[in-house]
This record gives sequence, C-alpha cells and structure tokens, in this order.
Amino acid sequence: MTNSNPFLIHTKDQVVVKNPDDKSWVFEVDKNGNLWVDFLQMDADLNVLVNLQGEDAKCKINCAYLTNKNNNLNIDIKVLHKYKKTTSEQHIKGIATGESSVSFKGVIEIPKSCPKCDGRQHHRGLVLSPKAKIEAVPQLEIWADDVVCSHGSAIGPLDANQLFYLQTRGISEKEAKKILLSSFLGDLMPEEFSDTIQKWMDENA
Amino acid sequence: MAALLEIKNLHAKVGNKEILKGLNLIIEAGEVHAIMGPNGCGKSTLSAVIAGHPAYVVTEGEILFKGEDLLKMTPDERANKGVFLAFQHPIELPGVSLAQFLKTALNAKRKANGQDPIDAVAFMKYMNVRATALGISNEMLKRPVNVGFSGGEKKRLETFQMAMLEPDFCILDEMDSGLDVDALKVVGQGVSVMREDKRSFMIITHHDDLLQYVKPDKVSIMRDGVIIKTAGAELVKEVEASGYDKF
Repeated sequence: MTNSNPFLIHTKDQVVVKNPDDKSWVFEVDKNGNLWVDFLQMDADLNVLVNLQGEDAKCKINCAYLTNKNNNLNIDIKVLHKYKKTTSEQHIKGIATGESSVSFKGVIEIPKSCPKCDGRQHHRGLVLSPKAKIEAVPQLEIWADDVVCSHGSAIGPLDANQLFYLQTRGISEKEAKKILLSSFLGDLMPEEFSDTIQKWMDENA
Repeated sequence: MAALLEIKNLHAKVGNKEILKGLNLIIEAGEVHAIMGPNGCGKSTLSAVIAGHPAYVVTEGEILFKGEDLLKMTPDERANKGVFLAFQHPIELPGVSLAQFLKTALNAKRKANGQDPIDAVAFMKYMNVRATALGISNEMLKRPVNVGFSGGEKKRLETFQMAMLEPDFCILDEMDSGLDVDALKVVGQGVSVMREDKRSFMIITHHDDLLQYVKPDKVSIMRDGVIIKTAGAELVKEVEASGYDKF
C-alpha cells in the first residue's frame, strides 16, 4: 500500500526528531544543526513544530498539499527561532479540488533575545473547483531587531488564458491542466513522490 | 477552390456586449485573406471566436471548417482539425519548456490523426530544421514558453510554433503590432515559406506593414462587427491612402 501522506527527511544533522502521532512532528535543531524535510499531504492533517535552539541552526520545510472530494486539511507549521543566528525556510504549495478545504497556518516566531535570524515563508494555493477552498493564515511574531523576515501567500484559480493557449495548440483540457499543475508545483517535491503526484493529477486534473 | 472556412451570420458577445453583429466571411483553401479594420471593430474577437476562447459567447450564426461545425468543437479539437491562432499577446508558461510544449502539441495532433507519438530523435530533427530556418536558438528552445522574450521574439516564436504544427488554417492576430522591420521580415518570411495550395491564412491587421511582405489574395474590411467589403490586394492601397472612414 502506498502512503498517501508521504514524507522524506533529507537532512537531520544535529536534529532530534519526535513523531508523537502520525500527524505531528517535533524537530529540535541544535547548534550548527541542519534539517530539511518534505511533506506531501493528501488526506491527513499535518502539525509541525521546529525548535531552532542553537546558534546557526537551519531548517527547510517543504510541503505540498493535493486534496479532493470533501477532505478537510489543517496544515500547521510553526518555526520557533529560539537562538540567535538561526535560519528557516518554509515553502508550501497546494492544490484543492472537489469540495475540499485547506487551512494553512504558518508561524515564524523570533523573540527579542534572538538577533540576526532569517525566517522565510512562502505559500501558494490553486483552487480548481468552485466549491474548493484554501485559506492561509501567516502568523509572524518578530520581536527582535536586526532580522531578515519575509513571507508571501497567493491563492487563486488556474489561469484561463494559459489553459486556452495550451488548448489552441491541440492539447486537451485535461492534459493542459496537468501541464500547468506540474509547472505550478515545480521541483518542490522530491522524485520519490512523483508517482503519487502523477496519479493524483491523472485523477483530478 | 473549395471553401475552407465559411462563416455565416455570426453574432458573438463578451459579457453583455455584442461585438460581432452578423458577420459573413468565406476563406478558400490556399487563400491568404487579410482582415483590415480600425481598432475596436471586432477583428481580435473574430479570431478568438474561431479558436474557441471560452470568454466569447456565440449567440447566432455558424462557422463551418472543412464543412464541419466548428462551434461544436473544443479549442483543442479545432486545433487538431487544422486551426492555428498566432496570438497578438502570446501567453507566458513559466516552468514549461518550449521544446517539451511543442512535442506535447505535436503528439496531440498525431494522436488525433491516429498516428503514434513521434520518437525523440525524429522530433529533434523535425524541430531543428524549423528552428534554424526561423533563427530560433537551442537555448530558446530550452527556455519556458514566452517567458522573458521581447515582443519581437515572441512573435517569431508564434511563427515557429505554426511551422512546427503545420496547420491548414493560420490566423495571425495583429502579428505586426509593435514589431520592428527585422522582426516583421522574419514573420513575413515564415508565412511566405508556409504558403501553399492547401493552406490558408487569415491575417488580421489595422495597417499594411505585414502585407508588404505577404501579398494577400483577398482583403476584407471590417467595421463595427461585420465585413463591409471584400476585394483583391488593391484594397490595401485604398485603405492606406484614405483610411477606413470612406468604407
């Protein structure tokens, strides 16, 4: 049986990984530590907490969600910069169709005691059907000065003009959608997930 | 010559605004037909309606292509029957390489014609011949479709796509707008090379720039959503001499 909510930990140098239940992850990244993890969510919630708790600790959290039917996904990613000079990246992209709904909440917290941190969060969502819904709540709590912090979120439908352009070249609507969805996800997810993603596109584009 | 395209009493609207108001037009196989008219007369709407843009709603009339009801077909079905629209403003497709895009398009056409997909080596040869002829570099083929190209380059790429897909009916929607003389020559040459007995062109324009490089067989003047006059190439000179007001 293939896991419909796969994850892949690429790098976990100086990282303590806790997985209290099948939806929740806690990563404790110590001094000079480096975490890189990818999540693909299709029908289950995800709850991630990253504690950057030593100097020069780094993390990269990539998450894609692909959801359909009447699934209701909650994706919570929380990065706590608990030490100075820590760095975080969150890249989240997702597609919702059918009557599904997604709520993404992304937290970056940098307290006053932790200067020279760098925290970034980017979210993009595509809504494929009139009844699907994506909601993003970025939550940035930045108390320290001298930090770099950026975030962005964009949610919308497929571009009708792109779809039409592909179709005028003889490509069917379904194939055209698959091309646009693949280019939307880009290389966010690893090769290991590509069969799962392809299958979802075949069924839902 | 038999009619390749026959448009009868075509009415179309976008939103609540009627733009085509009973348009009639016949384009024969092998014919280069220029549609000239002032801005806002509905020229680009006509090309969008023929290609099947979902924002335009046909309320009356019909379009026959090779004798078949074009309006019943999806945009991709129309393309695979031989309709090609070169866009006035080509659409950018980030993350989709031009070569991959064209291979997918070519294979869609082959599938519609009951042929197997083209193999990789044959495709490269087929593409490279056409790319070289139009001055499309290898590097351009690898880049995402229309992303980061100048206006002139985009029009050249539209011409290249047309050469790749070898359609029977090519609509050039304001291909000459915003082009410098060099880019105009490339587009003009691209069209001239492809001109043949069975292939027709509908060249939409509001001045004679492109028509200096591609001599039309027929010219129609469009005003306020209808064709008001059709004649030979001499009509271009009349338009250039005295504008559209006399029609």
